[in-house]
Amino acid sequence: MSRNVSINRWNIASRVLAALVGGYAVAYAVTAFLAVYLPLARPDRVVFSSLASFAVWTAVAIYVFAARSATRLWLPIIGVTAVLCLAAFLSGDWRVRP
Amino acid sequence: MKLRQSMAGLHTWGGLLPSWLLFVIIFAGTVACFDKELTRWMRPALHDGVVSSLGADDVRGWLQQNVSEELHAFWMHGPTEREPYWRLGWEVDATKTIHNVAFDPRSAQAEPMAETVGGEFFFKLHYNLHAGDIGMYIVGLAGMFMLVALVSGVIIHRRIFKDFFTLRPKANGQRAWLDAHNLFGVVGFPFHLVLAYTGVAIFVASYMPAAAQVSYSGNVMQYFGEVMGSFEREEVGQPPPAPVSLDALIVESQRQWGGGEAGWVSVHHPDDASAVVDVRRRDRSRIGSPQDTLSYDAGTGELLNRQDASTGYRAYLWLAGLHMAQFGGTLVRLLYLLMGLAGCAMLVGGLQVWLAKREQRGDASVVWVRALNASVFAGLPLASLALLWGNRLIPAGFAERAVAEGWVFAGAWLLVALWSVLRRQQGRRLLREQLLLGAVLALGLPIINALTSDGHLIASLGRGDWVLASVDLFLMVAGLVCAASAWRLNTTPAAAAARGRAARIQEA
Repeated sequence: MSRNVSINRWNIASRVLAALVGGYAVAYAVTAFLAVYLPLARPDRVVFSSLASFAVWTAVAIYVFAARSATRLWLPIIGVTAVLCLAAFLSGDWRVRP
Repeated sequence: MKLRQSMAGLHTWGGLLPSWLLFVIIFAGTVACFDKELTRWMRPALHDGVVSSLGADDVRGWLQQNVSEELHAFWMHGPTEREPYWRLGWEVDATKTIHNVAFDPRSAQAEPMAETVGGEFFFKLHYNLHAGDIGMYIVGLAGMFMLVALVSGVIIHRRIFKDFFTLRPKANGQRAWLDAHNLFGVVGFPFHLVLAYTGVAIFVASYMPAAAQVSYSGNVMQYFGEVMGSFEREEVGQPPPAPVSLDALIVESQRQWGGGEAGWVSVHHPDDASAVVDVRRRDRSRIGSPQDTLSYDAGTGELLNRQDASTGYRAYLWLAGLHMAQFGGTLVRLLYLLMGLAGCAMLVGGLQVWLAKREQRGDASVVWVRALNASVFAGLPLASLALLWGNRLIPAGFAERAVAEGWVFAGAWLLVALWSVLRRQQGRRLLREQLLLGAVLALGLPIINALTSDGHLIASLGRGDWVLASVDLFLMVAGLVCAASAWRLNTTPAAAAARGRAARIQEA
């Protein structure tokens, strides 16, 4: 019984952390990625990608609590964040094009 | 766990934990719909509805005579229908402190009115809780919680259409509160979703700096300049020539726009030869006016730049405009006010569902949650009324008068919180007494207004000044509603208990 409670506690803590920190990380990565790759002028890329970030964060928070496993849900969060951030920050001069 | 079950947990806890904070934000935002009308009420000098005849140069003249420090910038706004007086603000270069002054519209010379926090107090409470940048981030996080609670609320709500037409006030406590929570939640849902999203979007540049970091390599000045299409000029470290007339620049701007009104007029580093005057256009016919700022050399009056905002920035302004409700006049603001009140009712209803569920289980710790409820849900409105009392009773010449008003608000709130904690075991009696206090405070305000100014209800109604009269009238209605609720609460405990028993027997 007490083992179940502590598992449950870790389960909740993992999801809360994933919603707050993971959600922000994914939103950050998506924003950075779109700010580079949207086919728009630079000011518009920046504004529209930033405005979309809150929808991404909300979606991740919902996903995190809907996911079946409290540990495996971290895989897509870390994966998406890493891939999109690398694609955004390693795009050379392409990211600062006007 | 099924999707709906996990979403129910998320909705319950993700909604419960920030709900007191969200109540403060939504209540303050609701009051702020009519912040300018409240400011008029709070400044007796504005009660006769005289429109200022000063010009921009008179206002700058006052600044040059009364402020000797070197300024980073100063800015001013002329009289409008809702604010018939000149406002001036400036930032001191060395200390980065910001000062604000409003000028008496009845005076032919620039003469400051008595200090007050004004209706802007609630606007500021709404967006940063009077806690600077930290408060702004806390409000943003609360906004994200609200978005998540709204989305998860829709997912768990199987019968969203049917529940819209369901209200069972005679059902047992939990069911009735759930109906109320659903009713206000569903009616207000589109509004609350849009306002939560546009609310967090306003400070997007602070909350989500990713795009600027990657696309502008973190160069914030370049980012703002390019996105807004605004104009900046480096200081050259030489004394300025004699400045041109600001009033002439306003007239010139109106000519450039082909008519239209000027809004904010700002002067950047006025004590340097590189000083720039910005004249921003005020266009109330649109949700998000593109601002169309014209920048002039402060010494020669030469037009330096015509703002050409990017499409993205126009979209941002539209979202921000949708949130700030400065379009469409009184009717739109009234709708926002009603929807804001629905938001407050949704929060209170949701919390009552949570409480009723736990009370049935005989959970002893719920009294503390009830005490917190009373401290916030009753405390904030009572403190707001106390603020208006402070505004009327603190003498006009009092030093740091606006700060004193703020302390009246904070002190009153602390007292109500203390009262709620001490009386936590007698929730019903506490609620009745708080309602009675609310009635006394609200009904007393039109009277104290009549005693301390010429803008009393009879005078304002006689002039047909509905804007000023409506503040007094609203306070009277609020006071009467409080009194009626207190009276009802006094007469019905036995009846309510009997009804509750009957309902439970029926269900069983």
